[in-house]
Amino acid sequence: MSRSGGKALKIGLLHSLIRKDEKMLLDAFKQAGIKPVMIDDRKLILDFKTAPDVDVILERSINHSRALHALRLFESAGVKCVNSFDVARVCGDKMLTTAALYEHNVAQPASRVAFTEASAIEAIESLGYPVVLKPAVGSWGRLLSKVNDRDAAETILEHKTILGSYHHSIFYIQEYVEKADRDIRTFVVGDECIAAIYRTSKHWITNTARGAVASKCDVSDEIAQISLDAAKACGGGVVAVDLFETPDGLLVNEVNYTMEFKNSVDTTGVDIPGAIVAYAAAVATQ
Amino acid sequence: MANCPVCDAEVEIAPDTVVGELMTCEDCGCELEVLTLEPVKLGEAPEAEEDWGE
Repeated sequence: MSRSGGKALKIGLLHSLIRKDEKMLLDAFKQAGIKPVMIDDRKLILDFKTAPDVDVILERSINHSRALHALRLFESAGVKCVNSFDVARVCGDKMLTTAALYEHNVAQPASRVAFTEASAIEAIESLGYPVVLKPAVGSWGRLLSKVNDRDAAETILEHKTILGSYHHSIFYIQEYVEKADRDIRTFVVGDECIAAIYRTSKHWITNTARGAVASKCDVSDEIAQISLDAAKACGGGVVAVDLFETPDGLLVNEVNYTMEFKNSVDTTGVDIPGAIVAYAAAVATQ
Repeated sequence: MANCPVCDAEVEIAPDTVVGELMTCEDCGCELEVLTLEPVKLGEAPEAEEDWGE
């Protein structure tokens, strides 16, 4: 694939470990006739003014903190990134995601933020048990706590305060949503919601990283619309949106900016990595 | 072929393998990372960190 002037597109792939998702992206690049410039975040030295000589960088780092800082400095040096630093910043922090969704009137579960154990208890009881305590930065369902009563709340808050690093004492509290053993994960690329899966588990945590089973979900108008609204609220680009089904309609739980899709291509029949590569190529030529 | 650094079993290396790729030793189940390709050298994959994910 080439730019309009005939010069070959140069797309950087920011990565650390090459997981199955990244292998699928490499195959998609090959199909598109693009040889990506591999940028291993473990070898990066950033000097605040230079960046790899590429038209766009597709971010696939496994570490949020590395992705966030690298994207900021790449953009500062004048390189376009998919996703942008701002999208990574907002999606990588659940509090910032919640704030962005509120600002754009996107439906989501009720949530509270508190900074002390006492105020967190008050916030939890204002929402009513059960609630879910989440680290603001984190993924794959790690360190999520479903808090069923005051005894559990006091214990978990004390543990987080004493045993956790300082950011675990910034308490992000979300109402618990009954979701009939499943949630919905949608895949948004640019202006289109290209696919969706159900993630089904008897456990209240329905991340596929925690054993939930993926199955195809038809993308209804309602699913597409709230997914696109959530993506737009967070800055657009390539994101995966997690939805809860409730009697009152869909709610956005989280928005993910380095989306994993390895369990979703065969399930949906949609070439998700191909769509991501095509989007990155389009951004490169803008 | 390369050898698992944990159990020394032979691990098959596909032609399209890239540096940094994750694979699993079928003998011991250990998660491995491809460190170099010429020659192929495998190491134990790093443990998941707190900010890993999507």
